Order: sequence, then C-alpha cells, then structure tokens
Amino acid sequence: MSAVALGHGIRPARRRVPLAHRVPVTVSRISWYALCTLLAVTMLVPLLWMVSIALKSNDNILQLPPKFFPTSYVWSNFVNGPAQIHFPRLFVNTVIITVVSTAGAVTSSMLAGYALSRLEFKGRKVFFYLFTFAIFVPSIVTIIPIERLFFGMGLINTWIPLILPSFFGNPLFIFLARQFFISVPHSIDESAMMDGASSFRIFRSLMVPLTKPLWITMAILAFQMSWNDYLSPLIYLNSPGRYTLSLGMATFMGTLTSGTTPQYNYYMASNLLYMIPPLLLFFFAQRYFMMGLGSLGLTNK
Amino acid sequence: MLDLSAPASAVPARGEALLSDRKAKRARRRRQLGPYLFILPTLVGICVFTVYPLISSLYHAFTNWSGLGAAKWIGFGNFQYLFTQDPTFWPSLKATGYFVLLSVPASMVFGLALAVLVNRAFVGVKLFRTIFYLPVVLPSIAVLTLWQYIYDPAYGLANQVLHALGLPASQWLNSQSMAMPSIVIIGVWGVGSSMIIFLAALQNVPQEIYEAARVDGSGAWRMFRSITLPMITPLLLLQLILGLSLSFQAFNQFQVLTKGGPNQATNVFMYKIYTDAFGGYSQLGLASAETWILFLIIMAVTAVVLKSSSMWVFDDRQA
Repeated sequence: MSAVALGHGIRPARRRVPLAHRVPVTVSRISWYALCTLLAVTMLVPLLWMVSIALKSNDNILQLPPKFFPTSYVWSNFVNGPAQIHFPRLFVNTVIITVVSTAGAVTSSMLAGYALSRLEFKGRKVFFYLFTFAIFVPSIVTIIPIERLFFGMGLINTWIPLILPSFFGNPLFIFLARQFFISVPHSIDESAMMDGASSFRIFRSLMVPLTKPLWITMAILAFQMSWNDYLSPLIYLNSPGRYTLSLGMATFMGTLTSGTTPQYNYYMASNLLYMIPPLLLFFFAQRYFMMGLGSLGLTNK
Repeated sequence: MLDLSAPASAVPARGEALLSDRKAKRARRRRQLGPYLFILPTLVGICVFTVYPLISSLYHAFTNWSGLGAAKWIGFGNFQYLFTQDPTFWPSLKATGYFVLLSVPASMVFGLALAVLVNRAFVGVKLFRTIFYLPVVLPSIAVLTLWQYIYDPAYGLANQVLHALGLPASQWLNSQSMAMPSIVIIGVWGVGSSMIIFLAALQNVPQEIYEAARVDGSGAWRMFRSITLPMITPLLLLQLILGLSLSFQAFNQFQVLTKGGPNQATNVFMYKIYTDAFGGYSQLGLASAETWILFLIIMAVTAVVLKSSSMWVFDDRQA
C-alpha cells in the first residue's frame, strides 16, 4: 500500500527499488484487478441480462436456445410493459406512501434521539432501554394484533396502516440518532440555553443543521424500507388500484408464470423503471448509504 | 442562572417580581415537560405497535380465534396441535433451519472476503465497491422476480451458464433439492451490505499493529489470522446475531418464488405463519402461537451465540 502512495510524487526514488522487489507487487496488483473484474462482471451479468430481455421483441424472448443479446431493440416495451399494470398510477401510490412515511420516521426519530441523548429528565435510561428493546422484537410477533387493530378501525385496504406507524418513531433510527447526537459538543446547547433558547429551538436551529449527515442517512434507510416493503401491502391492500409497485410487480410476475403468453420483455422493462428511483438515490447520495451502514456496524464498538 | 443574565441595575417592583416569578415557574415546568414531549410519539408508538401487540399475541396463542368475535381459551391446545398433529410444522422448522444454516455462513464468509478484497488503496477500488454494493440498492421484489426468470429452466440464464460450462441443466426452483440453494444464491448476490459493514470494521483496525507485525516478518495470511480476525470479532458477533434474526424472518423469497414448494421443500416457518394467518383460513390463534415459537427460537439462538461469544470475541478492554 505504501508503494501506491509513493507512486505519484517521488519518481526517481522508485527506480532504486530492486527489480526483484517490484515484480511481486505488480503481479499481485494485476491478479487483484483480474479477480475484481471477474467478480464485478459476474455480479453485473444478471442486470445486463435483464436490460437485454427488456429490449427484446416478443418473438425474440421465445427463441430457443435463448441469446444473450437482443436481435432487435424494441424500445416500445418501456411503454407497453408498464401499461399492463397501470404502472404510472402504482408509481404515484408508492411515491406518496414512501415520501410521507419517510418524513414521519425521520422527524419522530430525530426528536426522540435528541431528547434521549441531550436532555436531562427522569426515567431517561428506562426509556432508552425500552426503545432499544423494541429493536429486537421481530415484526412477525406484532403483525397479527396490529392487523386486527387496523381491521377494527376499518382501515384495511387503505394506505393508513402503511404510513401511520412510521410517525411513531423507529427504534433503530433512534438508536442511530443517539449515537450521533452524543458526539456533538455539549458546549453548543449550553451556551444557547444560557441565552434563553428553548430546547425545541435548540433542536430546530442548532441540532438539525449540525446533524445533516444523520438525517440524510435516516431518510435514505426509511425510503428504502418503504419503497421495498412487500409484506405490509400484501396484508393490507386488496384493490389493485391502491397497490404499491412492490405488490403490483409481484402480481404482474404471478400472471406471467401462470399465464399463456409469457411476455417477460414487458415485465423486465417495467422492472427497470421500478428500480430507477432507488438507483438514482444511490448514485446521488452514495456517501450516505455507506455511512449509514458503516455507522450501524460501528455503534457496537 | 436567569438572575445572572439580568442587568444588576434593574430592580423589579413587587408586582413585577411576582409576575416574573410565575413566568419563571412556567418556563421551568415547560423545561421539565419538554423532554417528554420529544419522546411522546415514540412512546405511544412503542406502546401501541410493540408492547400491546406482544401481550395480545401472547394471549391469543392460547386461544382458538378467527379474528372476528371472541377468542376461545384452549390452553396449550395450539402448541399440542403443532407439535403432535400438524403435518407441516416439523417440515417447516427443518426448512427454516436449512435456510438459516446455508444463508448466514454464506453471507458472512463472502461478505468478509469481499471486504478484505476491496480494503485497498488501488486506483478503481471505489468503482468495484460500488458494483459489489449495487444489488443491495435494488428493491427486493425486483431482484426476486428477475431471478425467478433467471432460474426458468427453458429460457433462463442459469441453465445457459451451466450449458456453457458443460454441466447438466437443473430445474432450480422447481426441484425439491435445488430450490433452497437457489434461493440462498440470490441472497449471496446481495452480499454487498455485509461487505460494507465489514469494510468499516477493517478500516477501524489500527495500522500500527500491522506495521509492527510486518517488521516481525509476518505474512499476509498470518496477519489476517492473528490480527484482523480477532480485532473484528465484535462486529462478526453483531453481524451473526443480526443475520440469524433476519434469516429466521425471511419471507419475500418464499412468497414470491416458491410458495413453500416444491413438496414443502421451502415452506419455511415464516411462510407457514403467513398462510395460517392471512392465507384464507384466518387461524389467528394458531398463527399467534407460531409467532411466539419463532420469537422464542430467535431468542434462544441469540442467547446461545452471546453465551459462546466470550470464547471467541476479542475484548479490547482485557488487552
């Protein structure tokens, strides 16, 4: 690794390194690149194949043996495919549900995380343990009573069960927030409190701007959870017009595997469109994705 | 503290003093109440969406309940039925165990191997990290349905690859023996998430230790075995516990790809709970008992792992 660091700046010094020492470094580097490239290609092949299917013609997808590349590029699949499941409508449904529940989860968790880490009050430790305990309760144990609760309120086949719970704090996010808030210097809120600022004011005008990486990370995690959620829509929604994309796409696939005309080109074109929002988010906020996962791991240290 | 900030010359009249006293009191009360307002939403949420459901499902585990009307108390009836009569109970536990035993070690080993591989400062390493992480970003249903077609025996990519390698074709998800491994392979494709977590752990190991070892003439494998691995054991433990818990609760794969088949080969416990509760028969009492069995299994396995951790987890407070 030190050889790499030296590589750029100090050319002349490099010439003095004996050949015998340099060769193994080069060989190991080349084999490293070869191995990484091989693995990367292997991991990308399923995605490339999907793009290829999405562009194939109806005859082309039924060809045996199948070819990896399309013989002609049928861009209209990206119109005809989504039309099969009212894609734009499901897209809007999913966006609404995802955006609202992300906002709810981030706001409620930030508030709780701030109080648990920076405010003094009776029972703080107890609440912290209670919230942490909630992380470890598997969602399956609670799902039947919660479903009955929403059923009793006549909220089956609405979006409320998919949105409402996120407004009541996410224990995992609160844990993350607490770890982050603890690292902010205490002198900041002490001096603000001297000036007579209320704790909500301190939270809103000092803590929120200071913890931008934290809530962006949370928002990304919340977005992913909501966008990818399948079990809740499956349990709560039953009219196709209200479906989320996850449920709509799974239903679409179900009709193909049992149907007579397996139009997988239509399916894969729609699937690509379904993947685009999380992919865009990933490419624009990659740093925060990595940070979110990294901090989850490091909180244990 | 408030007095300190007030100018010394401003001596308030008696009435004003009372007023400001009341104001201060109100401010103090608000300050005492404030923190509880911050945690109120979460507190309500934990009560309604965690504590109440836990108690409710525990109670209903001992009842016969269709979800409508009153539940009928039947004592250990549900558990007795599951353990002795239900033809799908033991096969589903076996399928769950098989899935957990295949998928957890696979994601730990491949995740760590990838993390070690991309823990370099070479040009282009960021690109490789991004590519390896890419499948994790995709929605689970999008990934599962893609793989469903990849595993299609006639048109799918998987058999094309086998053919190109000169191997016999497989029935993949339609085969009783291959269905579970096929599902585990999809999980391995998403190994990027554990790679990132392990990478963060690797980068946290102090470099001086390696330098000292290098001076002593230790090789790469030796350093990995005696430095890297012990240093990251706390994170291995965390990943193991999280991985186990998540694998026991895996659901989407089985609902989308196999519906528990073929011949119950992938009828994992989570999927059985779903079909018993929401699959048309509304056996909510029975399903509640099953959710508690799963919860207890997860707790027991976690406890065993934690108990064993003192033997293999490196604690830097001792060093």
